[in-house]
Amino acid sequence: MTIVSILRSATLAAALLASTAVIASAKDVTISVWSGGSGPNDNYRVDAIEIAAELLEREAAIRGEELNITVQKTPYSGWEEFKQALTLAAEAKKAPNIVATGHEDIGPWAQAGLIVPVENYIDLDGWPISDIYPNLMNVASFNGTVYGIPQDAESRPFFFWRPHMKAIGYTDADLDALPAKVEKGEYTLKNVLEDAKKMQDKGLVQPGYGFYPRTNNGPDYWQFYTSFGGLMEDDGELVFDKAAMKRAYQYFADLVAAGVTKKNHIGMPGDQWWKEVATGKAGIWHGGTWHYARLVNQEGLKDFFDNVQFTLIPAGEGGKANTLTHPLTYLLMAGHDEATTQIAADLVKIASEPRINALHAIKSAHLGISQAETKVDLYASDRWASEATERLLPHANAMPNNAEFGKYWTIMWKNLEASWTGAKTVDAAVSDAETELKATLGDAIVIR
Amino acid sequence: MRTSRTLGLIMIAPAAIMILLFFLMPVVLTAVFSLTNMSTATGISGGAYQVTQAAVNRLTTDMPELAAAISEPRFVIDGEGVAALEALQLKPHFATELRSEHLGEVFASRREAERVIKALKDRPSTREVKRISDLFNRSVLNTRFETREALLESLRKLGFDLTPEEQEAVAKATYTGWVWTADNFRIIGNSPDMAQVFLNTAFYVAVTLLLFNVGYALFLAVTTHYMTASTASIFRAVWLLPRITPVVIYILMWKWLTWDNGFLSLFMGQFGYPAKNYLLDNARDAWFFVILLNGFIGASMGMLVFSSAIKAIPETQFHASEMDGASRWQQIRYIILPQLRWPILFVTCYQTLSLLASFNEILLSTRGGPGRATEVWSLAAYHTALQNYTGNLEYGLGAAMALVLVVIGVILSLIYLRVFRYDTLISKPLIED
Repeated sequence: MTIVSILRSATLAAALLASTAVIASAKDVTISVWSGGSGPNDNYRVDAIEIAAELLEREAAIRGEELNITVQKTPYSGWEEFKQALTLAAEAKKAPNIVATGHEDIGPWAQAGLIVPVENYIDLDGWPISDIYPNLMNVASFNGTVYGIPQDAESRPFFFWRPHMKAIGYTDADLDALPAKVEKGEYTLKNVLEDAKKMQDKGLVQPGYGFYPRTNNGPDYWQFYTSFGGLMEDDGELVFDKAAMKRAYQYFADLVAAGVTKKNHIGMPGDQWWKEVATGKAGIWHGGTWHYARLVNQEGLKDFFDNVQFTLIPAGEGGKANTLTHPLTYLLMAGHDEATTQIAADLVKIASEPRINALHAIKSAHLGISQAETKVDLYASDRWASEATERLLPHANAMPNNAEFGKYWTIMWKNLEASWTGAKTVDAAVSDAETELKATLGDAIVIR
Repeated sequence: MRTSRTLGLIMIAPAAIMILLFFLMPVVLTAVFSLTNMSTATGISGGAYQVTQAAVNRLTTDMPELAAAISEPRFVIDGEGVAALEALQLKPHFATELRSEHLGEVFASRREAERVIKALKDRPSTREVKRISDLFNRSVLNTRFETREALLESLRKLGFDLTPEEQEAVAKATYTGWVWTADNFRIIGNSPDMAQVFLNTAFYVAVTLLLFNVGYALFLAVTTHYMTASTASIFRAVWLLPRITPVVIYILMWKWLTWDNGFLSLFMGQFGYPAKNYLLDNARDAWFFVILLNGFIGASMGMLVFSSAIKAIPETQFHASEMDGASRWQQIRYIILPQLRWPILFVTCYQTLSLLASFNEILLSTRGGPGRATEVWSLAAYHTALQNYTGNLEYGLGAAMALVLVVIGVILSLIYLRVFRYDTLISKPLIED
């Protein structure tokens, strides 16, 4: 054997070895991502992960690794089914890798060990996470640990049908000044009731359509409690402010008594509600920034700004104008091996980059998660996104991340529904809520 | 004799195992769950020990000094931590650099400590940063310990020598999993809403049972008895439709009938009534439709049972009574009804239990609305334990509610057996004595 032949076989062996090394490093990973409350405009909640996967594969290829990521996407349109499916799947150790859900789930899910802290996998000081608004990062934290990465932001305005408002005596200039008046507390929930009544008395809208609220439970109803001076949490402890809750319950009872809101409004078919607010059958209503997308894209309200004015939720007695932001967050579910969770975390990080996140923000009319995102062309050139960000976001509160908050919410809603429909008097509803809160939450809630 | 007994046991074994697995086991498990505070937040499989702000608050009243001492996060770059880092055998420069540049530094939060670790020249990955920062954690706040011993060991290392009672208190305050409790039954007993749901259920079961599952079924059976065979079978087939239609489609048809743009609204519109959702308009209408749509399903079963029972009555009795000039009503009163006692007992008993437990029709139609007006016990248990908007599934409380239902079912069955004098059915005939 000559030196040359030895060299040749050695080279061959080395080449063979190298090729097996490449094959060995080829890695197939399946990442499943679920999202809740995702309608036809919210596809980028899961699609963003797919876009991120392609980028991560390319980055891996540049590093000389072969990474094949299959993204399994499962969007749920509702919340009940989604949370039921996810909680039970997680308890059965069949949880997806990534989930996009409301931040309020972080508390109970973290306590139960269903999710792992995102900060264990992502450098929070690294871009783009470092750019995300700090208050949103707080909303994604629980017990001093960052569990999620904000997936979107939003806030929940009051909407006024301009033609009806003009028909009861407001000028265009008045309506343009309305947001500022609401913010200063000069136009209150009491005025909402009066104006809704005027619209009905003039026959502009049918009875029960003057004020046309959300048709089912939602974070929105905490805004009214806040408007009447209520506080959800103080210093890590839940707070039930009896007087404020009573005023909020009373407000809805008053709306029903005045005939401007239907007694049986809760539980009405959602599609009907959308169609009615998009066509001026309702005078005043409330919703979220994402309603803009649905009204314009699905319900055919093309000249939105000519027909609709939007403001903060007006103040009530004892409180001030406010709005609520309910960011969805990407969470990493427990029960997967570290390497896969690391890939899932990398995907979440990439999906949070301004340009990718802006796709969701604009398509679904949510708000951006970082300052940089507002400078992306798509975002900057969108009238709704820029006006809504400016008018609403600075005043936004969020629901607390507290493991017990869901219980509080269920009890609060149950009694609002009861006093609204007349099944209970307002006083009975508040005292029932108090009794049940004491029984179920004990020391975990402060009752004032 | 002996072999036949064994054979009997063997023959019945599959059924016995099925009953054990699919009936007794769920009941026993429900009973076990009902004695816990299991929920989404506690998880099912068990918990960990975590000193959270809430846990510190719980400890403050009994052990204020301890609570104050463990309520602050604290990270210290000390010799012990660096030695532990060396033992981990990550890149050697991590330990060297920390020892030479940062020894003795104290940080008030994990984030600040990790910023220093991240800035090390060898750039640890995010997961390495976590592993390293854990080694310098000199507090227990917000750390998740999988076992009680691990928590107590950490507290011991931090200089807290706790008495067994104190250990117990700390473990209790920091445990994140479920615990045994009888609170669920206390909540059920004290809650005014539970009382309302209970009354709803009693109303729903009693009215549906009386008017449809027994009353209307009896009416159908008797009237079809007096029809010619072919007409009777057409009527019976029509009344079977609600039962054989898939429930989702069946309810959808009711919704088409009752919603704002549905048949009823269109029809009433002809007379000048404004369109409305008749199903969810108010509690009275909601109940009307809930009872109707459940009753139509329930009536068919009673109809079949009663019809066949009437068929079993010897024809001669009817002929004889007609000879005696009995009217139809007298035939029903004195021939049919007395001989339907056992079928009526069976249908009443069976349908009570099935109405108590069934909620799918209500869930699909009104979802318990408007304003929880048509929320019945089993639906409330389902909402509590398995499906609600906030995603806060309270398995323990839901199980307790289900257990209450089991107990009520058993009690009602016993009462029925008493009222219908079931003992006379099973007592030995006197003639053979």
